Amino acid sequence: MREDFGPPAHDSLSRYFPYTLQERTEKMIIVNGFAGLTQGAFFAIIGILLTLMSQLTRVVNFSQLAVGMFGGFVGMTLMMNPDIQLNIWLALVVSIVISAALSGIIGWIIATWLPSAPISNRSAVTVAALLLIVSTASVLFGANHSNFTPIVSGNVTQFTIPGGQIVFVSQSLVALLALAFVILIASSILLKRTMFGVRLRAISDRQSAAELIGVNVKVLNVGVWVISGALISLAIGFVPATISNDYISFSLLIIGGSAAALVGAFKNPWLALVGGLLIGALQGVCSAIPQIAPYRDWVVFILILVFLLWNQRKEVWDVAR
Amino acid sequence: MSLAKQSANEGSAKQVFAKQGFVHRPWAPLVLGAGIIVGGTIIGLILGSVTDFGFTRMSLILITTVLLLGLGVVTGTAGMIALCQLSFAAAGAYIVEWMSLHHVASFLGGFAFVFYMICGAAFAMIMGIIVGLPALRLRGVNLAVVTLSLSFVFDVTIVTLGFPGTKTNEFIDRPFGIGGSPEDKDTVWVALFALIVTAIIAIAVVYLQRSRWGSAWKMVAFSERGTASSGTNVRFAKLTAFAVSAGAGGIAGGLFEALYRQGNPTLFGPYSSLVLYVLSAIVGSYLVDMAFFGGVLSVVIPFILTRLSWPMFIGDMLFGVLGIQALTTGSNLGEDIRRGIRRRSREAKLAAVSEVLHDTGAVASVPIPKGTGRPLLVVKDLGVQFGAVKANSNVDIVVTEGTILGLIGPNGAGKSTFIDAVSGFLPHHTGVVELDGVALDNKTPSNIARLGLRRTYQQDRVPSTVTVGAYAKFVTRGKATRAEIDEVLDFFGCPTYYTPLSLVDVGTRRLIEVATGVAAKPKLLMLDEPAAGLDHEQHIAFGERLRQVPTKYGVTLLLIEHDLDLVRSVCSEITVLNFGEVLASGAQDAVLNNPEVLKAYMGETEML
Repeated sequence: MREDFGPPAHDSLSRYFPYTLQERTEKMIIVNGFAGLTQGAFFAIIGILLTLMSQLTRVVNFSQLAVGMFGGFVGMTLMMNPDIQLNIWLALVVSIVISAALSGIIGWIIATWLPSAPISNRSAVTVAALLLIVSTASVLFGANHSNFTPIVSGNVTQFTIPGGQIVFVSQSLVALLALAFVILIASSILLKRTMFGVRLRAISDRQSAAELIGVNVKVLNVGVWVISGALISLAIGFVPATISNDYISFSLLIIGGSAAALVGAFKNPWLALVGGLLIGALQGVCSAIPQIAPYRDWVVFILILVFLLWNQRKEVWDVAR
Repeated sequence: MSLAKQSANEGSAKQVFAKQGFVHRPWAPLVLGAGIIVGGTIIGLILGSVTDFGFTRMSLILITTVLLLGLGVVTGTAGMIALCQLSFAAAGAYIVEWMSLHHVASFLGGFAFVFYMICGAAFAMIMGIIVGLPALRLRGVNLAVVTLSLSFVFDVTIVTLGFPGTKTNEFIDRPFGIGGSPEDKDTVWVALFALIVTAIIAIAVVYLQRSRWGSAWKMVAFSERGTASSGTNVRFAKLTAFAVSAGAGGIAGGLFEALYRQGNPTLFGPYSSLVLYVLSAIVGSYLVDMAFFGGVLSVVIPFILTRLSWPMFIGDMLFGVLGIQALTTGSNLGEDIRRGIRRRSREAKLAAVSEVLHDTGAVASVPIPKGTGRPLLVVKDLGVQFGAVKANSNVDIVVTEGTILGLIGPNGAGKSTFIDAVSGFLPHHTGVVELDGVALDNKTPSNIARLGLRRTYQQDRVPSTVTVGAYAKFVTRGKATRAEIDEVLDFFGCPTYYTPLSLVDVGTRRLIEVATGVAAKPKLLMLDEPAAGLDHEQHIAFGERLRQVPTKYGVTLLLIEHDLDLVRSVCSEITVLNFGEVLASGAQDAVLNNPEVLKAYMGETEML
């Protein structure tokens, strides 16, 4: 329990908004909405991975971003260390390997001790894992750390919208969107066309039945975890440096990702993509309207609640019979 | 039942309790909890006065205890993942601070603060209900996503807005004129105030856990279907758990205010809620003593780390590791300790339980009940379709009041589907279902159960976390007195009232399910293979008892059973289902000698 206390920083918002309200609002809605897409694309990737994991391994992985964050900081540390000065691409590879391994360990723990437990019991473990990873990162990398260096930066193109505003298309956005589509298309080909995919679908449908016909459920489960860890780490490499990355805030970006996954009901990864982009754009638009800018995160939250209300029209029971 | 007979019953029941060693000790958890809190506080006060451990830390231990007690209800007892306990505390603190600064109830004097705390708790509860309502009907993981989001959003808002006193740097008055400047945090009276509040919350939580609400929480964690078919709305059970938890969070927020006199957003962040959830899982904070122990851990570990000049996050790393261990093994410190203590006496008690079960002595033999002739359950043209599979089609069944109808048929004939449809779990069925003239279509399972149609399950739906009596109280919903429950349990040869269900084998749990179902006095009780798991002698004894149920308790029965001997011994009428359709229906002899029925049961070749 922290005991330090004092008044929080409370600044007048007008400092950040030099225009009159109306001017500012009209000008910035489209620009900000578009700018929000980059974060939205990141949410989308998290949402897609959460959906695929929940479908294939019956878990909502709250530690997913923490795993990527940890790998990222190992890479960053090696990059920044004056004695090592690892090349950025090698640092990315290191990050991916560390994240994949860490993710695999969590997956292995769950697959070993909770093979047939309900999804909420399996997911609860990832909450503890999230805590362990965040606190370990704080101890290992300390309070003073530099932000992630993105492997892409700058803009691909820019265009002018009616009204004279310039909208930038960042390399981050293009890279994240490309990665999202690659994951979506590759996973759907993998699941539908390959033996590996058939086995994955078998364990997600009826794990015990798959086990009886000789499918190695544990190896496949851990495999999904490893791939997911690697992919989230790769995605973090594309995230622009502006996204906050203290250990806790960054790991809690999982919230936006899980909101995106909820749009697809943790079942449809394509809807998770739509959801992620929508949430990002919506937050961007909200940040352009000064009256609601401080509450833009409520938009995501209310979106989740509305979605759940809509989704629960039908009664759902805990077991088939 | 005459008074003399009742007291005789109670007398014999008491003897059995004594023999089994399951004595009701309503005060035991209170004494344990109070003892640990008072003992811990005395040690804390001594430490506080002689070291720099301080009364602030003592108060923080108690505040965390309240937070954990609340969280224990929703995560431990009701088995859900809630990650926003400190947001509720922030809400409670905000309300207390705002009301204090505006002197809303200053006419109450020293008690004004208490009033503000109650308002804070009420506000937190309302917040919990608003958030919980959309999230709770779905699986627990959704609640985790929603609560994590709430704690994040709430944190951002509180940081942006600040607490009411922070803008003007005002500090509120402590309760009952307890003094102390803002710097003077170490106030012994705050710790004592926190102690009293914690004790009240602990007592309230213990009694709630033992109430029908508490049984509903435990039941819903074990089986939602079982909860609904016992007449309790699943959403209500989950919502009450979540609201109680939020209320405790709000109270804890008030205690924060009593201690610090001004809110501080950094205390209530989502990370702290995560730590609290994991801590709750590690210790098993639905147990009072363990909630207190969790409070001690949350304060003492950082204290030790500060003394050693180690990073504070090492404590959270430890919680992370222990949390993974606890959540993967499904155990917690509290249960482990209790299991260790109980191990010695466990075997003797197990022996006592099985001794009672073998006491299936004869009861007066009665003929198969003939009934009143009045149709009680009327099912017309019932159809259930799963995709292309017709699980039930054109099923017509009438159950006469006061009889036992046998519903038989080969595996996969649609017998359990029939029960599911009638009891409301398959709302998309076609056809008409009427109980005593009341249409049951479009009614929820819990409503149907309350209208007097109960069922039991093929699978074990009796939670092992409660006692036989608590389960019976939950199932009967106030329809049966204690004496009546004891009588029915005794009649079916079940273990006695205070026996923990964790000591009872699965076959006997099914028997308890039947007995409590009868004790709930429904108009119709549908039994889905109740005798599976009983040996042959027990089968016969069970049949003898079933035959008495309609006349003795006024409960009509519908029995699904594969053991034809049992069916023959209790049912006057039989309906046979095959491939989802009624194959034959009518008086016992006629149906059982019907060649079509024999063919369905034995197969063509056996018949030749």
